[in-house]
Amino acid sequence: MRTRGRGFALAGLVVAAVAFGYPFAWLVSASLKDRAHVFDNALLPVPFAPQNFVEVWRAVPLLTWIGNSVAVGVAAAVAATLSSAVVAYGFARYRFRGRGLLFGLVLATMMLPGAVTMVPVYLEWHAVGLATTQVPLWAQNLFGSAFYIFLLRQFFLGLPSEVFDAARVDGAGPLRTFTAIALPLARPGMVVVFVFELRSAWTDLIKPLIYLREPQFYTLPRGLKTVLDRFGQGGESQWEIVLAASVVATVPMIVLFLCAQRYFVRGLVTQHVEQ
Amino acid sequence: MTVGRWVRVSAVVAAVLVSGGCGGLGASPEDAPNALTTMGFGLPDEHATARVAVFRDRFPDTDLRVNEGAFDEQQFLSAVASGEPPDLVYADRAKLGAYAARGAVEPIDDCLRSHGVDQAQFRPAAMRQVTYGGKVYGAPEFATVRLLIINNTAVRAAGVDPATVSSTDWSALADLSTRLADNADGRFRRIGFDPKLPDFLPLWAKANGVELITPDGRGVRLDDPAVVETLRYTTDLVKSQGTWAAFKAFKDGFNDFGADNAYAKDQLAVMPMDSFYINTLATNSPDVDVTITPFTDRRGEPVTELGGQAWAIPKGSRHPERACDFLVTMTATDTWVTAAKARRDALAAKGRPYGGTFTANRVADEEIFTTVYAAQGNRILDQGVPIVRALQDDSFALPASPAGPDLIRAWQQAATRVLTGAQTPEEALGQAQREADAALDRVLGR
Amino acid sequence: MSRTERRAPWLFLSPWLLGFAAFTAGPMLVSLWLSFTRYDMLTPAEFVGTDNYRELFTDPKVATALGNTLFFTVLHVPLQIVLALVLASLLRRAGRAGGVFRTLLYLPVMTPPVALAALFLLLLNGQTGAINDVLGWFGFTGPNWTTDPAWIKPGLVLMSLWTVGSTAVIYLAALTRVPPELYEAAELDGASPWRRFRHVTLPMISGTVYFTVIVNTIASLQVFTEAYVMFYGNAQTEAGRDDSALFYVIYLFQQAFGSLRMGYASAMAWALFLVIALITALQVRASRRLVHYEGEVR
Repeated sequence: MRTRGRGFALAGLVVAAVAFGYPFAWLVSASLKDRAHVFDNALLPVPFAPQNFVEVWRAVPLLTWIGNSVAVGVAAAVAATLSSAVVAYGFARYRFRGRGLLFGLVLATMMLPGAVTMVPVYLEWHAVGLATTQVPLWAQNLFGSAFYIFLLRQFFLGLPSEVFDAARVDGAGPLRTFTAIALPLARPGMVVVFVFELRSAWTDLIKPLIYLREPQFYTLPRGLKTVLDRFGQGGESQWEIVLAASVVATVPMIVLFLCAQRYFVRGLVTQHVEQ
Repeated sequence: MTVGRWVRVSAVVAAVLVSGGCGGLGASPEDAPNALTTMGFGLPDEHATARVAVFRDRFPDTDLRVNEGAFDEQQFLSAVASGEPPDLVYADRAKLGAYAARGAVEPIDDCLRSHGVDQAQFRPAAMRQVTYGGKVYGAPEFATVRLLIINNTAVRAAGVDPATVSSTDWSALADLSTRLADNADGRFRRIGFDPKLPDFLPLWAKANGVELITPDGRGVRLDDPAVVETLRYTTDLVKSQGTWAAFKAFKDGFNDFGADNAYAKDQLAVMPMDSFYINTLATNSPDVDVTITPFTDRRGEPVTELGGQAWAIPKGSRHPERACDFLVTMTATDTWVTAAKARRDALAAKGRPYGGTFTANRVADEEIFTTVYAAQGNRILDQGVPIVRALQDDSFALPASPAGPDLIRAWQQAATRVLTGAQTPEEALGQAQREADAALDRVLGR
Repeated sequence: MSRTERRAPWLFLSPWLLGFAAFTAGPMLVSLWLSFTRYDMLTPAEFVGTDNYRELFTDPKVATALGNTLFFTVLHVPLQIVLALVLASLLRRAGRAGGVFRTLLYLPVMTPPVALAALFLLLLNGQTGAINDVLGWFGFTGPNWTTDPAWIKPGLVLMSLWTVGSTAVIYLAALTRVPPELYEAAELDGASPWRRFRHVTLPMISGTVYFTVIVNTIASLQVFTEAYVMFYGNAQTEAGRDDSALFYVIYLFQQAFGSLRMGYASAMAWALFLVIALITALQVRASRRLVHYEGEVR
């Protein structure tokens, strides 16, 4: 019974793995073909054309874009993780008047379509002279982000209150209790938030589309759209170049995930989403 | 690593990023007194680089910053709106009317006058595109025309002499198109005739005797019976070969800029096309057997639409005088001739054919094609270049309109709705007329 | 309680309160005001009363865009949830081999949507694409996913399922928290796998499912990047493209930054906000009957 169930599960997963892996295999393979063979849908790149990567490297400033994406992504992730942890701790640890209402407000902002605030927020950044810089791509994260506040609050709620009481007895102030006791314990949750936000900043197109004007400040998705417009549809239909750039944009995230996945999955398992 | 350390490391990383390791901060280069910034212009070949070199040579104290990258309307408008526009913008001439009506670009009449530029040197169709409300808003650059390119192999195989193929007799063309098409079970192997909808609708309408936009740019004639007839005919050209979905998906797979393009692979028999494409064909597949011939109206007269870009000075440009120097230099006759020579020599060094330089400046073209260009025995160019030359002076262009992009969108989407079978030509163009009128009303405050 | 203790929560909450004022509440008020104006960013805003809102009801594209978005959401959310549940259940039973599969299923989530759009534009091409080739092996003639108005949204839904890993991992986390004793008891009772799923698993993770349904619905109603990049990203891709993949936020973006109709776009944004609020409220009501909270069994 058990083993049959497990065999069945493995068979299902193999089918899924083929279905989910195929587009990747196709992508990598096609990025290594010459233009005439991109559409042949063969999984082996014959003839083998690794020069696509050299060509895209020469045609557009990929390295600059990667650097920008790393800078923006790390800034966004660090800012979101720390600020959300601070706010989440405030909601989890203390009882005060209006807490329920405020937390409801936090959750409500998750439902708010970004489109509503798109224009006015742009005008704000312009008012402080930063509308064409990378700052708007991450600085908003310094103020906490609803979803992460929600996640981390669940985390803090799951911590036994005895540790905090003990800290109070030891005479630790609120800030010290937070940094010395709460943060270390919340580390798995913070890793999740960090990876989530790094991914989200790394893959976002809308903000770079609105804010970034000069190619030397582009992040990868914004740059990739330029590559697609220039070499892909409506451009010179050099799809192999577009696909090579797509591979370059994807690989760092996959490496990150492979490195972080141990923490990542553990973090997800320990969170208590359904409370 | 303990969390305490992790937090400290993160904070240091964040501090480093904030304190300027991260790009996009620091003094804005546009503020320097001798700076000159451009948007929408790239430096892909000698036509661009040689002319920029001429400018740098002539104005050595100007710090020219070319922000490469295709023109992005949203980027441009938000830059103007935020009061941080570039000094110059390079965009499709068809868009200028709308920017002029909104006050996003400045008139350049005074600029041209002060530099003694004779406006008559520019082709009338190009000037029509950059003139709105009696004022000139842009210096026209390149000039492309549209003509027929015929795949001789496919046409001869159908027992037809390529020299007899034309767009004059609409019913004969429709017959030929279905004969040339090869489509089995919804999978195309060859398109017979591609009318290039929706982009070429204005050309087809002109061939049928009507311009989509009224001369003052403040009205459209989309529901005119002649336009309805045009749209019905051209969409039927597509539908008689297969569904639009299959037709378009097949075209999406073409490698237009490679040696294995649709002509070389016999995936296409005939289509009207922008003239730059003969250059592409001549370079990538010089041996492909094609006939190049003018697109004709229903009386058999050649008709063609002129297209291209223009330089304009955005509202709020910090260095309008330098910008004026720049756009005058870039479009001047001697600059063009220098660029044409540089382009020709660079191509020769690579062993590639030079297909001429086609500009909106008549005087420049005259000189380029007498002193710089020479036939080099490339069958495609030797055939095509004289035809392009002959067509340029009789080309038309739709007038600048304060709602240009909205109007184009309205009729393009109407054509698409007919192609997909969602609407009849009457319904689609009726709706497009209403949408276009509404867009014009909004801009003109009617 | 000491003074520091009383002040402490506000200290911790202050970043969010500041951010809320600067990036949410303030901009929302501005956006609400803009929605009653005509504003093109170049000339001062002009008050036009409820014109923009009235136009929402007469603009056929708003109806089309909303219809497209609802169509996508109605297909995408249930399929995403069901597929994620199936995959998570399989992963839970896979034992140690699960790790490899889990990683593989999650990788698409790490792919930038722009790259995904470029990739699927080619995979989904009805004439040359690999997906129709694969369908061909099984004797099916695949549709023109990227150009046929009837198939373009199903194609986008299909593509969206490739990133199901994000939801599946959340379910996996929830499933591993279900006490094994419950399954053992059910197995002893001779319950079939389906009954075990229906009466043990589903109730235990219904809170998680509820959460993901709401989050996925809200995201899905704002779907933008893939369809924008594939079909509406530049003048050339837009030519010859009908409205069948024009999602609400794409149209909103076009109105705001393409036609510079900031006032109208703001009205569109507020209308979307109301639609999302309404749908979420309905889901919350439905959940009161359907969702079993973990806390209740304790």
